[in-house]
Amino acid sequence: MTITLTVNGAKVELSCKPQDSLRAVLRGAGYYSVRFGSETGETGAAAVLVDGVLISADLMLAAQADGHEIETVEGMSSPGNLHPIQEAFIETGAIQSGYSTPAMILAAKALIAANPDPTEDDVRDAFSGILDRETGYLRPVHAVLRAAAVMRGDDPESVDVAFLDPLTSGAASDQDVTALSTIAPKVVPSVDVPDTRIVGHAEVKVDAIKLVKGNPAFTDDVVASGTLVAKVLYSPHANARIVDIDDSAAAALPGVRAVLHHGNVARVRYASGGQSYPNPLPYDQVSFDNRVRFVGDRVAAVAADTEEIALAAIDLIDVTYEVLPAVFDENEAILDGAPVIHDEPDMEGAHDASHNLVHHIQAETGDVADGFAAAAHVFEQTCRVHQVQQTPIEPHIAIAAWDSDERLVITSSTQVPFHVRRMVAPLLGLPVKQIRIIKPRIGGGFGVKQEMLIEDIVGHLTIATGRPVRLELTREEEFISSRTRHPQTITFKTGVDAAGKITAQDMHVVANTGAYGTHGLTVQMVTGLRGLSSYNSPIKRFDCKVAYTNIPVPGAYRGYGAPQALYALETHMEDIAAELGMDAIEFRRLNWAVAGDPLDIAPQLGEGDQDASVMPMITSCGLEEAVAQGIRAIDWDRRNDPAWREPADRPNIRRGLGFAMAMHGTAIPGLDMGGASLKINDDGSFNLLVGATDLGTGSDTILAQIAAEVVGVGTDDIIVYSSDTDMTPFDVGAYASSTTYISGMATKRAAELVRAQIIDRAVLMLGVDADSIDLHDGKAWSTDGQSVTLEQIALSTLHQEGQHQIMADASYVSPESPPPYAAQFAEVEVDIETGQVTVERLVMAVDCGVPINPLTSVGQVEGGLVQALGYGHCEEMAYDADGRMVNAAFGPYKIYRADEMPEIEAILVQTLEPSGPFGAKAIAEIPKDAVAPAMRNAIANATGVRIANIPFTPERVWQALQDA
Amino acid sequence: MITQYHRPFTLDDAVAILARPDAIVLAGGTSINADPDRAPKTAVDVQALDLAGIELEGGMVRIGATSRLQDLVDSALVPVVLRDLARREAPNTIRNMATLGGTIGASDPESELLAGLLAFDTRVTLARSGSSTEHALADVLADRSILNGAIITAVTVPSGGEAAVDRVSRTPMDRPIVAAVAHRSGDTVRLAMTGVSAGPTVVDPDNVADLDPPADFRGTADYRRNLAEVLAQRVLADVTGGEAS
Repeated sequence: MTITLTVNGAKVELSCKPQDSLRAVLRGAGYYSVRFGSETGETGAAAVLVDGVLISADLMLAAQADGHEIETVEGMSSPGNLHPIQEAFIETGAIQSGYSTPAMILAAKALIAANPDPTEDDVRDAFSGILDRETGYLRPVHAVLRAAAVMRGDDPESVDVAFLDPLTSGAASDQDVTALSTIAPKVVPSVDVPDTRIVGHAEVKVDAIKLVKGNPAFTDDVVASGTLVAKVLYSPHANARIVDIDDSAAAALPGVRAVLHHGNVARVRYASGGQSYPNPLPYDQVSFDNRVRFVGDRVAAVAADTEEIALAAIDLIDVTYEVLPAVFDENEAILDGAPVIHDEPDMEGAHDASHNLVHHIQAETGDVADGFAAAAHVFEQTCRVHQVQQTPIEPHIAIAAWDSDERLVITSSTQVPFHVRRMVAPLLGLPVKQIRIIKPRIGGGFGVKQEMLIEDIVGHLTIATGRPVRLELTREEEFISSRTRHPQTITFKTGVDAAGKITAQDMHVVANTGAYGTHGLTVQMVTGLRGLSSYNSPIKRFDCKVAYTNIPVPGAYRGYGAPQALYALETHMEDIAAELGMDAIEFRRLNWAVAGDPLDIAPQLGEGDQDASVMPMITSCGLEEAVAQGIRAIDWDRRNDPAWREPADRPNIRRGLGFAMAMHGTAIPGLDMGGASLKINDDGSFNLLVGATDLGTGSDTILAQIAAEVVGVGTDDIIVYSSDTDMTPFDVGAYASSTTYISGMATKRAAELVRAQIIDRAVLMLGVDADSIDLHDGKAWSTDGQSVTLEQIALSTLHQEGQHQIMADASYVSPESPPPYAAQFAEVEVDIETGQVTVERLVMAVDCGVPINPLTSVGQVEGGLVQALGYGHCEEMAYDADGRMVNAAFGPYKIYRADEMPEIEAILVQTLEPSGPFGAKAIAEIPKDAVAPAMRNAIANATGVRIANIPFTPERVWQALQDA
Repeated sequence: MITQYHRPFTLDDAVAILARPDAIVLAGGTSINADPDRAPKTAVDVQALDLAGIELEGGMVRIGATSRLQDLVDSALVPVVLRDLARREAPNTIRNMATLGGTIGASDPESELLAGLLAFDTRVTLARSGSSTEHALADVLADRSILNGAIITAVTVPSGGEAAVDRVSRTPMDRPIVAAVAHRSGDTVRLAMTGVSAGPTVVDPDNVADLDPPADFRGTADYRRNLAEVLAQRVLADVTGGEAS
């Protein structure tokens, strides 16, 4: 049928089918800002204005929109200028990946048009249909308030960095922090940190323009004509052998170009976790197997001319299964008699596959029995942490194609392009040199894309058909058939002496790695590392069994074993303090590991090549200041006020405050490596090529800031390209909180080499010594008052004399992993008649060394807090008795919306980390680590009840209250 | 999957197309377009039928069936509790598309808004070829076949009385595990709930303890029964001025 839409003021005639969504038709017409988030419309990534009103274009048929006026973000500005709403989003730091930013901007436009002076509640309601996993909604909401103020002609609130007086330096402060703007990034400066021009400032993101305008930038925004659509057939059974696959009807369907399964694809062993060579064992996967091990496991894949034909072909594949008994619980799976999940003869590297035991990780620094014998009290408790999913709003998507040189090019929303290239090569039977992986902008990853997950499928299909092939997971497939967090059963046993000092800590874990090993070894190693590093103990032991079960596969998820460990640890420490009659923070303070203390379990639980003779030591720690800042921000004393905890006017409500401490790591020492390459252009600008993958975290901006600081220009003179296995140096990719520290140091080193070359030419041009030259503001300055621009230096070196390209590259791997610290506080209300918990406030004060960009840093914290909130409060993957996920959709799987958020606050506490670029440590994952235990401790403060397991859903809390 | 699309301009034309065996009413589309079922259907888009509008007539509020849920939220004529339930029913993007008639037709088992309408003893007006009939909402939800071949044209609720609502959910704007809505008009009190039965249902205030709720991962039957008693008591106390029944 033919429809007429008025899009951004222009009448457009489009042909479509009755079943086509408005989203599909708009994208087909080139409006790439209208994005896919889910097949049931809750994400709002496809939100557009129809007749001035915000709707989800994925839930409207194009036919319904016939004759109506459509507005997309493409209509809000022209090249070179920005709408005030777009400017406000940039200035406020409201953009992380930018995937849903166009939707938010349209929501703002509609709201302000109807109401030029909206309240915060009005804005949150306007955002209620746009789900975000990245920002905590705080900055986007304030961006709208800012835009409305500017459009009214009023003054907007300040976004400048707000420096807080330190509370633990000995000097008194009468600073009124309550008067500070909500969105001013709060930084407690350290006197050790030198002034810098670009680093440490809230520079605008270098990719902001394309994100705020919805310019084509994501994988799905560049799809060549003739690209085939791939669909995958997934297993309906949790454990089964594939006895037969009859693909004849599917293959015969007109428009079907290939049907692949174990019968026609080479059986090559691998592990899918995106990690350095050699990938940790076991190699227990093949592209298509004759066995399925969870509901959602891969059975076959189809490439066809259209999505409809591909789906029809999937339905025509006739599979005969021999259904086997299944096991889902990690403790049951390792018992005698449990169904054996991996019994294939060619499987490599599980510890004891016959008992579903993938790994048995053991580490100790002495004999814990001695430590417990020396203890005045021994405490032991067990908890279980559950399965949640990363839910990036952009699901996995990859497009494979032969280029003109007949090399296979895969464009993929991946955090690990270099690992993907190396790992997919043997599966496809191609050498690494014949493969190119391109990482465009990513709409969120959080670890789920630290995986070679679907690139082999599109590769196989392109090889089979000779055509470009695109595979995008549906939201349901993203829940069930990608990766999740590892559930664990954790037992902590701690001995303390009469004064409350720890004499031994023993951590025992049974972890659930689902049907395949992937990250099963290293996540659990981090669990032990993080569980036993926060506190000094003369003797420590870690014993962890990692079990196969038939649940959808856990992999990498931001935090990577630390959220599990710190939930168990920080609830354990809280309870010990209560048993000893000690203050919750005071007990921890007596034992926590700070600057000068060793990270004594790290050598045994590190993955990389480290010098075993060197004990890693903590070299920077802002924990005391972080605690002091958090105590003030949350008004901690209320915790001891019974009148506040039991409000007289609300007899069914109890209120409480809770605390948890987090120590995390910064990159993987001796393993994570990144390279950077910098070259000058004729106008004195630079190209910075990095393998580091910005998934919305702002790493492109951070790296630009570091290079700009060293060579003395602004960030707009650094053009960043990341990342592409043909064009950029190697980088392990975005994980382990490594980019700022590792890729940043590589960038700094490359920039220092370039700086030296610039100075060499300046010496010749100015006739002075190198020592008297400084670079800043785009020039080389000598102490005698002369200067020459970098443009002049570039033209001179490229064209005129002693011609050479000023350029350098560098790589970096670190022998250490300096820990960031955080003090997490939570305020909750509990309805004791129903068990409903309402989270009122979260405050996290973080020591990440020197934040290279305070605006993107607080954005990372604010976004991470919301995911951590979901982990503790409301997210869970739920199953029926047959192992089928029953809530594989947004809504039933509950993530927080803008209009129900608690207050969230991030405070950055500076320290100077000597080993980090300009003093930086990591911040990416630590926000995930301490919200759940802080909530649990707050519930305990409110009700007296100490709950063991997460999430704190109403029935669990109610039952705990009944049982108390 | 919609394989044929029609946008009639008169009710008679709409009802005529609706007589086809695979024909369905397409209002906002938020339910139908999210349905993964690929069986072919003929859509009768009612947007051109002029069925919107909210009016006060003799103590009753008449809400046109194609009124968006956001229209209810914005209307000062709609009772406050129902406006709040319309706001809570869906996020704003969906509220801006979903219609009241469509909400009744979709009959979401967890719909708080439908529970609220049940408590208000709502009437539903249906149009068929040449005729228009009125039904209790409770009857329509109990027997969906009443809607076969018909188009909902309007919904009527009393504008007066006292109402109260309470719920338990995982987060403040989540779908409720159990919700209770009470409405009192004079001495008549009606109580309706979600989460205690197959769908939103009228509940006898004296028989709350006898409910047999279905269980799911958000709540066992025992827990839901407990919530039903607590929430029913709260909303009944609210509408009777503190005297719980």
